[in-house]
Amino acid sequence: MSSIKEKFNQISPSEFFYSNRDLAGFSNPTRSLYTAVREFVENALDACDQKGVLPDVHLTIKAVEPDKPDPKPYILTVKDNGPGVDAKHIPLAFGTVLYGSKFGLKQARGMFGLGATMAILYGQITTNKPVVVKSSTDAKIQNQFEILLDIQKNKPVIVKHTTKEISKKGLSVSICLEGDYSKAGNKIRDYVYETSLITPYATITFDDPKGQKFHHPRFVKEIPPPPTIIRPHPHGIDVERIRRMIVESQFEIPTIDDTMIEKVRKDLGLSKQNLSFSAIMAKAKKKWKNLSRQVRVVIALMSFLKMDFEKLSKIRIEDLDVPNKKLYYWDFGDSQSKTVEMDPESQYYKQLTNTVQGEPLTTFLTKRFQRIGPTTAVKFAEFAGFKPEKRMGTLTNQELVNLSDSLQKFDDFMAPDSSCLAPLGEGPLEKGIQKFFNPDFVAVVQRPASAYSGFPFIVEMGIAYGGDIKTGGPHVYRYANRIPLLYDEGSDVVLKVVNDTDWGRYKVKGDPPFIIVSHICSTRIPYKTAGKENVADRQEIERELRLGLQFLSRKLAAFMSKRGQAEMAKKRANLYAKYIPMIAEFCTELAGKKKQPNYKKILDELEPAETKQTETKTLEEEKPIENK
Amino acid sequence: MKTNKEKAKEISKKAKEKQKSVLESLKNHGAKIYEDLENGQFPKFSIPSRSVSNIVYDKKLRQYILGNSNALRSAKNSAQLRSFTQLMWLAFFANRLTQEKKSSTLRDVYYSSQAFAIEFEDQSESDNIIVDLEAVTSRPREDFHIFPEERSSIFGDLNIEYTIPGYEGKKMNLSNHPDGYSIGPSLTTAELVDTSAEIVIAIEKGGLFTRFVEEQIDKKFKSIIINTGGQAPRSTRTLLKRLHDELGLPVIILTDGDVYGEHIAMVIKSGSANAAHLRELTVPDAKWVGVWATDIEKYKLPTIPMTESDIKRCYDLQKDPRYESGIWKKELEVFLRLKRKAELEAFAKYGLTNITDKYLPQKLELAKSL
Repeated sequence: MSSIKEKFNQISPSEFFYSNRDLAGFSNPTRSLYTAVREFVENALDACDQKGVLPDVHLTIKAVEPDKPDPKPYILTVKDNGPGVDAKHIPLAFGTVLYGSKFGLKQARGMFGLGATMAILYGQITTNKPVVVKSSTDAKIQNQFEILLDIQKNKPVIVKHTTKEISKKGLSVSICLEGDYSKAGNKIRDYVYETSLITPYATITFDDPKGQKFHHPRFVKEIPPPPTIIRPHPHGIDVERIRRMIVESQFEIPTIDDTMIEKVRKDLGLSKQNLSFSAIMAKAKKKWKNLSRQVRVVIALMSFLKMDFEKLSKIRIEDLDVPNKKLYYWDFGDSQSKTVEMDPESQYYKQLTNTVQGEPLTTFLTKRFQRIGPTTAVKFAEFAGFKPEKRMGTLTNQELVNLSDSLQKFDDFMAPDSSCLAPLGEGPLEKGIQKFFNPDFVAVVQRPASAYSGFPFIVEMGIAYGGDIKTGGPHVYRYANRIPLLYDEGSDVVLKVVNDTDWGRYKVKGDPPFIIVSHICSTRIPYKTAGKENVADRQEIERELRLGLQFLSRKLAAFMSKRGQAEMAKKRANLYAKYIPMIAEFCTELAGKKKQPNYKKILDELEPAETKQTETKTLEEEKPIENK
Repeated sequence: MKTNKEKAKEISKKAKEKQKSVLESLKNHGAKIYEDLENGQFPKFSIPSRSVSNIVYDKKLRQYILGNSNALRSAKNSAQLRSFTQLMWLAFFANRLTQEKKSSTLRDVYYSSQAFAIEFEDQSESDNIIVDLEAVTSRPREDFHIFPEERSSIFGDLNIEYTIPGYEGKKMNLSNHPDGYSIGPSLTTAELVDTSAEIVIAIEKGGLFTRFVEEQIDKKFKSIIINTGGQAPRSTRTLLKRLHDELGLPVIILTDGDVYGEHIAMVIKSGSANAAHLRELTVPDAKWVGVWATDIEKYKLPTIPMTESDIKRCYDLQKDPRYESGIWKKELEVFLRLKRKAELEAFAKYGLTNITDKYLPQKLELAKSL
């Protein structure tokens, strides 16, 4: 995170976003209001999800001067019952750009919490009002901040900070911003509605500026298991990422100062004694297993230096030249640099090379990546043309590039771990669809996890037909990581798959009352644009969507044909009810009778008679007459 | 000799008997359906199959008839329920028409259905149901007072007596009007009282019919002239049959010199596949005297080339058993060889009256030997 911050330090990140706010969806008052709602609501839901709290989110939009025409300033407040934010983090979290808690490889609605800060920034530049943050992490004390951003310095300016006693945990963020509710209102209401469909375990309330209340209580009491942070998959990696991982896997030679010597003494249980070199080494050998890595490195160095603690405190390690097996150090006493030859056969030699050159390739792969075992690691090394024991620290730039390329190309890695994903699950999804649409038919499916470019993803889908659903379908509800995608649906991969489907084949015809819900979960959704409204047609995702939709469509077809049969039976019964009385009427007059025959009997007995339709075989089936 | 009054009575009695038998037949069918319903059963009846495979040529009867194949139409079969009801309605409607002695047309029937909430997609559907009724009762629709719209005409010394309501006993001589009389319901059902004619000449074309009247062919050849107006309507065929059967008049047919003309003659003689369920429409003894293909050559008539469909029609007719022998076979072959056709009017090449002065007498003479 700190490295990301450094990148933008040339100009302040807030300065950058100030001048490029349309990138984040703050291009005009309509869109800005909608985006701000989204960002805060999603942050609130994410915060609750991660702590396993059933979310209770309250959204309020209030006009500052209701009688003024749009666009005008609105106060937007989003309140949740989540874990809150520690008072010490609040100024930075809400008063700087690019500061947040969402930097891990797992599924979350937002990536960096950047959007929320952008909303705050936008609010400040349009109304010059501070953001008001109220937070309680312990359900006892609530910290209340009023913060302004110093855009040029990317620093928070705390206008006011008070505390008070409270009995509920949670966070409330309130900003004043210029918006256009008359235009954004529909979008926002759709957003709240669709969000509550995909978040059935949340209660979402929306008080709109016109005094209307939209309340969506939770109807699922269990929160789906939260996603876990996982190691990266080799297919999703690039050179820069590997370089950083290598740095993490390498350790510097510890500085042997008094503090370090004291630590080694303590670890060896020698705090009171002054032992000779060989006695120290013997003790170390005995306790080896319990020693920390740092202490082990010091012992290994000592093994080549052959010094006791007394002597050790008077030198400084200069360099460790592994290829030439030499150890250089500076002797303070003699004021000169000295060299020691290292014996590569020594057990301590390995300890040192490990430290300096990093892990061997196979260890690196198995330890740093998900789902790579020793066998796969060796196989991969062979595939990539590296020795399995090749030290990561010794890779040249070119080798690094080769390694990265090979990681992409090697096909034998297992599919990515999907424990970092949080699909809603078939049960809650079905319940949601039931509740929202009250359909005659519903089917849901959760596809097994798959991956594109090393990013795991899961597709969940639902189909519903009839009931309260409006005709003119299929209406498609698209979600990505529990965010409803409301716009730009034209070029979305889901729409593509839906439109490619020949619904006639599934007995869906005409103007069907028919909805499709699709939810794509991934550590990285391949959005087509910065607007995060449509998903690109990655082949792997398209395939999963297609399979999911086909599965559901077949179920729908079965329902439709059953329904068709029932309708046919009803239609047929109606036919009899219509025609038999006519026949009765006509034959009564023909036969010269006064009273109509009692035909009610056959109409009543229709059902059993209907099931068995026999034709006399000696009689020919009627065919249309051909005119000669 | 019977007095005129007695005769009128007899005629009226005959008509009444026919009406009675028609009504009886309808009543019997209705009673059966009524009984089924009363017994809690889906009504059904059997109907002669009119599919092509069931239409056969009967050499004895010298006409097309339906074979033994029957189809069951049941109200239980939901696919047939609608047509079942339509047919029931038609029987009901025909019953009223017959009882009230009101005549109707195919088109009338189609529109009348709407007064009873009976739905027909179009007139062809209702026409088809009418044919069904004919097939079930083995009676032509004229018996139920349903008449065709197309009219042909008749001229000649023939006394008739109307049987239709309001005209019962009224007499008419069919040579009173030089345009001829249109063969409508009243004429088809009229009593044929007497005639001085000795032959009936059926002619395909209206123009020639007028020429024949002008040339007094009725007098010169003691004939009744009938204009079939192309393919003879069923009422005309009925009338031809009655003239032949009741008055003992031979029937000769003059048509254009093409394959369609040949077939017009054949239909008068032995019926059409479409009406194979009826036996009252044919004059098996009728004779086709021309214009033959051989006449085209013999009289050196001006010709026009046959079209593709003319030729195709020739080949189709060659498969018909009735064209397997005699002049029917021979003329078809000549048509196919010539690939040309001639109209009756072609004789005008030799003068307007050539056909009546020369051709007709020769043909009448020839007919005696046919």
